[in-house]
Amino acid sequence: MSNLLLLLIVLPVAAGTACYFLRSGSLRTAIVTVTGAILAVASLGLLQQGAFAFQPGSFLGIGWGSIVTVLDFALLFVVLYFGFKLQNLLIKLFTVAQIALLGFFELFMVEHGAGGPALVADNLSLIMVLVISIVGSLICIFGLPYMKEHEAHLKLKKSRQPQFFLYLVLFLGAMNGLVLANNILWLYFFFEVTTFCSFMLIGHDKTDVAVRNATRALWMNSLGGLAFLVGMVWAYAQTGTLDVSAMLAAGPATGGLLVAVGFLCLAGFVKAAQLPFQSWLLGAMVAPTPVSALLHSSTMVKAGVYIVLRFAPMFRGTFVSDGIALCGAFTFLACAALAIGQSNGKKILAYSTVSNLGLIIACAGLNTPLALSAAILLIIFHAISKSLLFLCVGTIEQAIGSRDIEDMRGLFKTMPRTAAIAIVGILTMLLPPFGVLLCKWMAIEAASGHLFVVVMMALGSALTVLYWARWAGLLMGGHKIGGPSERQPLFTSFPLKLLCLGAMVFGFLAPLIYSELLAPLMSSAAMTVDNGIIATATGGFAIYPLFLLIGVASLFALNRAMRSRDVREVAPYVGGANVTDEGAFNGPMDTVVPYSASNYYLGEFFGEARLTLGANIAAVGLIVLMMGGAL
Amino acid sequence: MQGLIFAIIAVVFAPVAGGLLAGLDRRVTAWMQSRQGPPIMQAIYDAAKLFGKEKLVVNRWQILCAWVYLIAAAMSVGLFFAQADLLIIFFVQAAGAVFLVMGALSARSPYSQIGAQRELIQILTYEPMLILVFVSMYLVVGSFNVSDILAYESPLIAKLPLMFIVLGYALTIKLRKSPFDFSTSHHGHQELVKGVLTEYSGPFLALIEVAHWYETVLILGVTALFWATSWYWMLLLLVCVYFAELLIDNTMARMTWRWMLRYVWGIGLALSFINFIWLYAR
Repeated sequence: MSNLLLLLIVLPVAAGTACYFLRSGSLRTAIVTVTGAILAVASLGLLQQGAFAFQPGSFLGIGWGSIVTVLDFALLFVVLYFGFKLQNLLIKLFTVAQIALLGFFELFMVEHGAGGPALVADNLSLIMVLVISIVGSLICIFGLPYMKEHEAHLKLKKSRQPQFFLYLVLFLGAMNGLVLANNILWLYFFFEVTTFCSFMLIGHDKTDVAVRNATRALWMNSLGGLAFLVGMVWAYAQTGTLDVSAMLAAGPATGGLLVAVGFLCLAGFVKAAQLPFQSWLLGAMVAPTPVSALLHSSTMVKAGVYIVLRFAPMFRGTFVSDGIALCGAFTFLACAALAIGQSNGKKILAYSTVSNLGLIIACAGLNTPLALSAAILLIIFHAISKSLLFLCVGTIEQAIGSRDIEDMRGLFKTMPRTAAIAIVGILTMLLPPFGVLLCKWMAIEAASGHLFVVVMMALGSALTVLYWARWAGLLMGGHKIGGPSERQPLFTSFPLKLLCLGAMVFGFLAPLIYSELLAPLMSSAAMTVDNGIIATATGGFAIYPLFLLIGVASLFALNRAMRSRDVREVAPYVGGANVTDEGAFNGPMDTVVPYSASNYYLGEFFGEARLTLGANIAAVGLIVLMMGGAL
Repeated sequence: MQGLIFAIIAVVFAPVAGGLLAGLDRRVTAWMQSRQGPPIMQAIYDAAKLFGKEKLVVNRWQILCAWVYLIAAAMSVGLFFAQADLLIIFFVQAAGAVFLVMGALSARSPYSQIGAQRELIQILTYEPMLILVFVSMYLVVGSFNVSDILAYESPLIAKLPLMFIVLGYALTIKLRKSPFDFSTSHHGHQELVKGVLTEYSGPFLALIEVAHWYETVLILGVTALFWATSWYWMLLLLVCVYFAELLIDNTMARMTWRWMLRYVWGIGLALSFINFIWLYAR
């Protein structure tokens, strides 16, 4: 037990430090790969052991609790240093407030004996550990060839990869700590570490825009940290315990404690980049792609939704719960709309992430067993599909030098492998019988009783279809299926293929995941699972039969597409004789007329400039509504 | 088991019914325009002829997309008659619609590209309306399963009169009738040629035609749920609805997609809210 925990939390710290000091590229490759493999195996081992509570002993004679406290203050002072270095008033303000409040709390309020076991895992934590350790490790491995190429492109004199991988690998350890922590002080510490790691990673390229966006990420997340700290102190004042599971066991909160939970959820909102805090995550896309992939899929933003889900039993049945559902559903809708106005591939992915996180938070707010199951399943499926898509965009960007989806038109012709994987990734985000859609189905069924939530989900779901379908469609094209293939380095193709497989297969495992891992978490059964046929109180999803039918049908369709004989491929109809095979036709007076078409981005409805301000104001209003419900 | 048998029967006979309905559609339209019109079987003859044509494509993705569109449409009809969950049926149908668009986008023709974009906006317009119709049925019946909705003792239209109008909008868009027929139309001589269908030809166009018949049957099936307590009234309701569609088709001019999105979302959401509030107030 303690060994596995040591591996999951401390090994990434050690490996990251080793990456920093041993500056050789091949050593780094070995360290990151081996660490990734060990993390993946250890997370499976932890799952095998099931739920547990664990109190670590001491390290060199000093209790781990004191070490965490010291590191906590050290980290806050480092953040404060960056606040002065960047001359950002907000960072300074929020950090000083945190130092003062934490100091007061540690010196005058808290009794450290009241901590309970420092690390506790239930099935939710175990699932999170799996997602972090497996998906996160794959992204780190993908980062190895990517960063080499990235730096070759930048023509750096001195490689900055050691620092990059220090924070990248460290991030995984911090996330594992966060989801396993039971002492709320520990939770807060790991929460702050993820903030700091993401700040360092976003600013990694040190360009003006990178520094600017990293600064914004830091001040917003410092605000989130402050909200967390306020919630933590307030909760301690009410309950007199630092033990999260003890707080949860006490049942739905009332009065002052509910306000504390409201603050904790607010911290989760900031971390999950919910409206109006989405700008830090959108800005984060300036970082190298592995960072975006990590922040968007398995770490950071998932820490935010984890916090909200973790404290869900405490606000069950209160108005805060309804408020959270409204906030989440609104973010789901607004960000799906904002994604339509974008042609920048990474930005579409970013808005889609925020939108999906909104759906998860809406489910947490609905707070029924069905909704909570949907939320946890969505965390898994979204992590897999979204990391896959980010890695695809990264690979494409390095090949074609652009992340604009207009430039990816007919990409299948030149990059058949990556394009096909990207198309599969997109389809797993939106079509049955894949996991994300299963969750959307569960969410809508769970929300049917809430007028506003279900309307926003219906609209958001339709908007989602639009931006995904058009992207997948334009990746297709090109001429030959089964033409010359494209070369990918092993460490690029391995994560891509594994994630692609995972994205396709995991929907199939959903009934199993539910009955083995989620059902024990729920107060009452969300649904019955019988031979892969899910039946809820209100409907049913025959997953296995559907998978089988759709699988056979897709194979048949693929077979027709690839094997059909006597198919003649011709140039498209353009109202005149085609000149070359694509792109121009013979117009009047025998002149060559080029043609092109691009997507509708519907700027007049869904433009960023048009929607953002209004959406942010509405979101602030909803958050006020939610917090007001606690009073 | 009974559900499976129903599903198989439906998958076999739906295209025939859809094809005949398409023929009838043309006859009644011709009658409205004081023409003779083609034989009732014409739509089926056309499809049969297309199946015999040369297989011309811009790229092979189109073959994949046409097949998936057909299979998804057939599967959604099968699921409907097997009395499954309405939302699942809808999502399977939507998968087919997405593939139709992707196939059109895979060809670099401006006509099919713009047709595909418009088709997406049509999907964007009707999808939330359909989901809200299903949710309203759930609010009355307490289940999304077609079997439970059929077992409900009184006609739904009495409790969901406004949602029936909302469904009417979705129906008009899905049947590609004016004023909502701008991704493609029945005639190949408009400004977008055949829009989203331009680059599908021969046997693959025939697949799409058959898929469209399936979709017609599906959406009429959803309409029928509104008066499922008596065969007589159900049939009458369907005849009236389809006739109303033809009337609308023949009297309305095509509008723009901006108008459609604003108008249908505006009216549709307003009607849904009012009808939902009635249900809550009950």
